Amino acid sequence: MASPLISAGEVQWITAGVSFNCRNDGRQREDFRELSAQLGVIAQATGSARVQLGETDVIVGCKAEIGSPDPERPDCGRLVFGVECSPVASPAFRGRGGDELSGELARALERSFYPGPSGRAGGVDLSALSIVSGKTCWVLYVDALLLNIGGNLHDALSVAAKAALADAKIPKVEVVQGEDPTDEPDYEVDDDPQQAQRLDVARVPLCVTVSQIGAHSVVDLTAQEELCSSASVQVAVDASGAVCGLTKRRQKGVDPSVALEMVEVAQRAAAKLHAALADSLAEQQAQQMSVG
Amino acid sequence: MAALEQQPLLTDGHRRDGRAYEEFRNVFLKTGVISQASGSAYAEFNNTKVMVGVYGPRQSERKVGYSEQGRISVDVKLATFATRQRGMFGQTPEERELSALLATALEAATNLASFPKATADVYVLVLEAGGGELGVAATAAALALADAGIEMFDLVTACSVSRAEGALLLDPTVDEAAREEAGLTLALMPACSEVTQLVSRGPWTSSALREAMELAMGGCAQLDALARQVLKTAAAEAAARRQQEQQQLQQAQ
Amino acid sequence: MAAAAAAGQVDADTFRRLYPDDYLRKFVEQGLRPDGRPLAAARPTSIGLGAVSTTDASALVKVGSTTALAGVKCEVVPALPEAPDAGRLVVQVEMAPLCSATTRPGRPSEGAQVLTEQLSALLGSVVDARQLCIDAGKVAWAVYVDIYVLDADGSLHDACLLAALAALSSLRLRAVSIDESGRVQTGAAAAAAQQQQQGERPAGQQERRLALSCQPVSLTCGLYRGRLLADPTAEEEPLLEAQATATLDESGAVLGFAAGGTAAVGQIVVVQCLEAAKMRGKEVRAMLQQALEQAGLAADADAS
Repeated sequence: MASPLISAGEVQWITAGVSFNCRNDGRQREDFRELSAQLGVIAQATGSARVQLGETDVIVGCKAEIGSPDPERPDCGRLVFGVECSPVASPAFRGRGGDELSGELARALERSFYPGPSGRAGGVDLSALSIVSGKTCWVLYVDALLLNIGGNLHDALSVAAKAALADAKIPKVEVVQGEDPTDEPDYEVDDDPQQAQRLDVARVPLCVTVSQIGAHSVVDLTAQEELCSSASVQVAVDASGAVCGLTKRRQKGVDPSVALEMVEVAQRAAAKLHAALADSLAEQQAQQMSVG
Repeated sequence: MAALEQQPLLTDGHRRDGRAYEEFRNVFLKTGVISQASGSAYAEFNNTKVMVGVYGPRQSERKVGYSEQGRISVDVKLATFATRQRGMFGQTPEERELSALLATALEAATNLASFPKATADVYVLVLEAGGGELGVAATAAALALADAGIEMFDLVTACSVSRAEGALLLDPTVDEAAREEAGLTLALMPACSEVTQLVSRGPWTSSALREAMELAMGGCAQLDALARQVLKTAAAEAAARRQQEQQQLQQAQ
Repeated sequence: MAAAAAAGQVDADTFRRLYPDDYLRKFVEQGLRPDGRPLAAARPTSIGLGAVSTTDASALVKVGSTTALAGVKCEVVPALPEAPDAGRLVVQVEMAPLCSATTRPGRPSEGAQVLTEQLSALLGSVVDARQLCIDAGKVAWAVYVDIYVLDADGSLHDACLLAALAALSSLRLRAVSIDESGRVQTGAAAAAAQQQQQGERPAGQQERRLALSCQPVSLTCGLYRGRLLADPTAEEEPLLEAQATATLDESGAVLGFAAGGTAAVGQIVVVQCLEAAKMRGKEVRAMLQQALEQAGLAADADAS
């Protein structure tokens, strides 16, 4: 992706602002922009959410289909992540231009939902998606579409993915065994939304990207601020404050003590972000209930 | 095999392969292993075997466009027979991600301004994946960059730490990593004490994370001493060879 | 000649880069090669068996700087309907991007494709696929031989073939057992299952070695100003007028002869090539035998 340009003067202005703890839009270093999460924006999807974080705008839809489980984890369902970088968001995404970014974002999402190769620390209880152990399970396809890029894509996507999964209602399935026990059983999917189950996403971590601008740690960078940052750390933090995943991005190295400080900043910021999302989810789910 | 999976990883303060918790596997590093490359290195940590070739800095491919700074392009591949399950020839998303993580680990240590508009291609082939590939590859790739004579601010060494069965294990094998509760890989520029890559998996509390990072940094320092020794030996050998050639030339004249 | 005039003023290394042809010519006229070899000598060769523990068999071969690593993986697969009593041998040569300045990641290079074709055909005739059958019409072995070129310093065919041959020679097909429900087990579990099942329907096989019909070894020769250079390096290869690779088995039978280049290869040259390849074959087979004996002894020690 061809990076947008920024002048030396602008870099100086932003860096100075950060050092005075007053950013261009009036925020402090550890403040997020206003977060809005709308659930159920796509009627056909099993669950969907549109998340706006300042100018950054993403939509995530998830669709549940019956499929077969991973042979290594026969009694678990699967989550499949995809991110599409639409040319709507940036002309650099025309053709195959967005492939690299979309691959990176999809892997980052996948990691926060499947932390660790042992899968024990998973944010979602995948065994709830199992139908018949080793044979069939729900496969949730979680697809994200970037509508506008205004900085801090990773965090916005992780919020949107969690919201979409929280919105998802997995239909009830009954396994009907034929008369001959060797026959493949039939699956009856119950259409009644009252019978459908929600996924428990309480333990799903949210990603907070903490970046260094000058000598300070800053969260939720705008697109312009991202151009002034030399190093950043993406931290996945769950609702209890535990660090579930961590990846360093960008060119420069950081001092180990600074890295730890950045993790602490992420933990503080994540607590606020978790609270904001939980409020928003609870409110909308309550509304849905009253309408339903 | 099933029985082995049930057995504990740790007994009497030792691991299955007899190592102490904070002990590396047998480490072997060597530079100058590929005659065609500008720089190359081979790293072996028991069953993890990684080969790195650096080509360039050379003209960037046209599709990547103009850049004022030099670029490092990293490509990581696992040999089809590197894992227990046979892999494939094309690059998987995991390998692509490893490439991106490795690029971040190396960029901070390389003086990119010293080769504007050009690209240094870092090709990594994992011959056998016995655990900790990212760390081993980063250590080997930094050695290969140094071997290629590319200006660097510092070497990069990297290693992994796993938390399993209540203990922190340095340089975990693939079996240990498969059963870890949490793990991290840290790449360090040891002389300037800067972290160039940090990847963690699984839940960590702040204090445990700090402890694990300190253990990994200690590991990186150990590797650094070894890597420097390898570079020094290689340089001394090269100097001796040149001197010998010159003497032969003088005798011939 | 500008080259000759400049020769006095530049050091050897610069001269080598600027005038590679003159550089090589000066050596060849003296009956030597830039690396100090006589014209007809191959480079020092080494064979290391069992380098990669995740394989069923592996071999690392170095011929001078040229390095090839062959890894063999065996999988139990359903038998093909068109060949119910045979397994499969799949050979693939991959020029890893790190092996030379011209190989790039992505699509396989042309050189690798040609080598894959050549070695597939050759090894297909050496390994009788019928011995890879486990249960006719049901399951069979698929033997994947993947050869990675790690350092492409010329005469790749020779190194790749030797690596593949060494790996296949040291291969032991794991024991296989098939129980009543058709479940297939391999390795130690299969051996244990077979012990239990003794006397019942013998399903499966003991651990066994692969039978090779012969031991093909190749030598690449190049024609340079009318002289024959054995085992050319990557530096010499582009300067050659013609290049030929002769593959012979231990009885001296010719299994393959591939020639290419700008000049036609005369009859005398062909004979010379075959003769050189025959000599080289003896030398290499002795080396392979030694490597196998060493590995074989090691395997016996493990068993006891």
